[in-house]
Amino acid sequence: MGKPMNRTVDAPLISQIRQGNLAAKPPRVAIVGGGPGGLFTAWNLEHQADSPFELNLFEGTDRLGGKVLTPVFSTRGIRYEAGAAEFYDYTPVGEDPLRDLVESLGLHPVGLAGAGVHVLEKRIANLDDLCDTLGPDARKKMATFDNWARSAMTPREFYTSGTDGSCHAAQPGPFHQALPGPVGNGLRRYIETMIHSDLATPASKTSTAYGLQNYLMNDPAYMRLYRIAGGNEQLIRALAERISAQVRLSTRVERVVRAENGPMRLEFAGPEGPQSEAFDAVVLALPLEALKRLKFQGGELSEAMGRHIGHHDHPAHYLRVTLLTDQSPQPILGDDGYLMLDAFGGCCLYSETAIEPGARHGVLGWLIGGEAAEQMSLLNDQALVSEVLNTLPPSLAHLGGRVVESRVHRWVGAVSAVPGGWDSLPEDRRHRPAATTQPSLLIVGDYLYDSTLNGALESAEYAAGWLAAHLQSLRAGNG
Amino acid sequence: MMDRNDPQPLTAVPDPEIPAGFPSGSAIRRIDWGAQRAFDLLLVPVSEGQEAEGSSLSVLAREWATTGSGGSQVAAGCPGSVLIPLYGNHVVWSPERGAVIAEAGRLDTLAAALTEFAQCERRLRDLEQRGDSLNNRVETDAASILVAGEATDQPPRGGVQGSQLESISIRAELSKIAPLVHAPVLHPPTAASQLAERLRDRTRLAERHDLATNRADFAVQVYEACGQRAFDAKIARRQSGLEWAILVILLGQMALMLVEILSSRTGQ
Repeated sequence: MGKPMNRTVDAPLISQIRQGNLAAKPPRVAIVGGGPGGLFTAWNLEHQADSPFELNLFEGTDRLGGKVLTPVFSTRGIRYEAGAAEFYDYTPVGEDPLRDLVESLGLHPVGLAGAGVHVLEKRIANLDDLCDTLGPDARKKMATFDNWARSAMTPREFYTSGTDGSCHAAQPGPFHQALPGPVGNGLRRYIETMIHSDLATPASKTSTAYGLQNYLMNDPAYMRLYRIAGGNEQLIRALAERISAQVRLSTRVERVVRAENGPMRLEFAGPEGPQSEAFDAVVLALPLEALKRLKFQGGELSEAMGRHIGHHDHPAHYLRVTLLTDQSPQPILGDDGYLMLDAFGGCCLYSETAIEPGARHGVLGWLIGGEAAEQMSLLNDQALVSEVLNTLPPSLAHLGGRVVESRVHRWVGAVSAVPGGWDSLPEDRRHRPAATTQPSLLIVGDYLYDSTLNGALESAEYAAGWLAAHLQSLRAGNG
Repeated sequence: MMDRNDPQPLTAVPDPEIPAGFPSGSAIRRIDWGAQRAFDLLLVPVSEGQEAEGSSLSVLAREWATTGSGGSQVAAGCPGSVLIPLYGNHVVWSPERGAVIAEAGRLDTLAAALTEFAQCERRLRDLEQRGDSLNNRVETDAASILVAGEATDQPPRGGVQGSQLESISIRAELSKIAPLVHAPVLHPPTAASQLAERLRDRTRLAERHDLATNRADFAVQVYEACGQRAFDAKIARRQSGLEWAILVILLGQMALMLVEILSSRTGQ
């Protein structure tokens, strides 16, 4: 994957060469983390910078992509999503840079929808089902709740709520205390299952605004979902093929050393043993758990990073259990790509059969989040498979006996339960926590925004924009 | 005046027409579209939770629906028949037949949604066919207008005028059904809204409507341009006649003046 740097030589560099200033090497930039945030940063920086630079991308594991992972079942070579299950499509309301990026890379977004919620062993897919299951009164209360939710947050507010890490449209406090009027246990469970089906944040930490966002995202007027044809990891591969950074796989950065009035030094361990290199700018595009393991040398830098981590450290957990079956669930599920279950405090069951066109097999993927995911991640794979099979709705129960292969992926502490932290910080402070002492140390992460890939891209765009300007100023200084 | 697109009241069809393999309690309703056309709706009640039974019946229903619509032309890009599994219920649509296999409590709701969709689709299909027919005439009509405007005294009427009225009529009809075709997705959804969305999506109703509208707009513009051209030619012809008249009058006046001058000299 590692490729030598091959940047286009631009006019100022030619001018430098003509003036005999060959000793002036281009600035060195390091991106630590080869997940979506790191790749987005590299992609954006290469597009925004108008002066030459040397880009190095460090990745501690042997693959790029982080939480975007589309592995293959060993028995039949069939793909499934082990990490990010879907992308958010904001085009019903405004611009969507991630979708634009996906399309500009020649990838094909495929819509993903699902309305079925299994609550109290009944399927509720629409208001008629709700009326049948919980009574006519529940239908009226649902309409009241829906009106309340819409009036609390407009599509535009929903669209901008991820930008500043919070939403000011709703009242403070946890969501479960904000439900209007007595909604009844059945309806409450239905609403909370919808909200928590793909949310890692436990109910006690789910703010009213965050809960509203997760309810309203079911409405196509606010947002739609999509996946990438052929697997979400296609995005990672497409980016990796196009960036010209030197990618260093299996190279774990262990320490960031602050230097007085000079470049930073990274200490890392790779295939060639421990090494140290100096960089003019460093971007840390790591999940918080990895950021916590990183050491920072220099009192003020260490303190600043400690404050940054402390502000954003609200670890949340995911668990993915995926089963390959020799029969497709699609005749039962119809057009739906997922359904929501009230098991495990609310979880999502994806049918990923459509990843392979014309498939006769079935791929069922459970996404379990929050406290249940943390507790269940301690179980062994066999026990987990047994647990999820017990949650299969009656209409799909026959698939339990047709399992060919199972896979489990544990994402413990991989996401933030409180994206942006309890109090939203200004964008620059989020990205440059040590702005006074180490201005060219930047942080990129989905947790700085809304804990989604869209948030990671937004963060990367900010960091790349800042870096591009910084590289320009470095060149001006050298000149 | 009664809209020719309005369906006639549902009429029950005698039991013998129910195809073999469907359980007792099944019924067929015939919706009379007028002009000797109808839409047959097969209603099959199944017990709650009998999704496997519903699934096997849906295959039979699709065969029945497809067979009955063999003669109907379907727009390009639209499948000849559609089978939609909808949370334990199954709905089949083809241009002339439809089927709902559902729990008894859902039959009427889904049947109403399917009927409404079938009516909308049929109106669009009719307009597509009228648009196709008009499209075949546009080029000939335009050529005849342009040639006629320059070479003959009177532009051709009748056929072209009829085509122009037809293009306006098609465009107006397309505008009428636009709110049905482009209905926003309802949230929270109802069973009927979910079925309607899926049917519209599968039969590519919005894309077909957009295409038909673009073609109708084009025809309207062509005929408007032709009308303008004919009008301009007519004005030009009148203007030319007027010029000749003025010239003749001037010549007459000059002749009179000449006579007057000559007569005055003779008098001296």
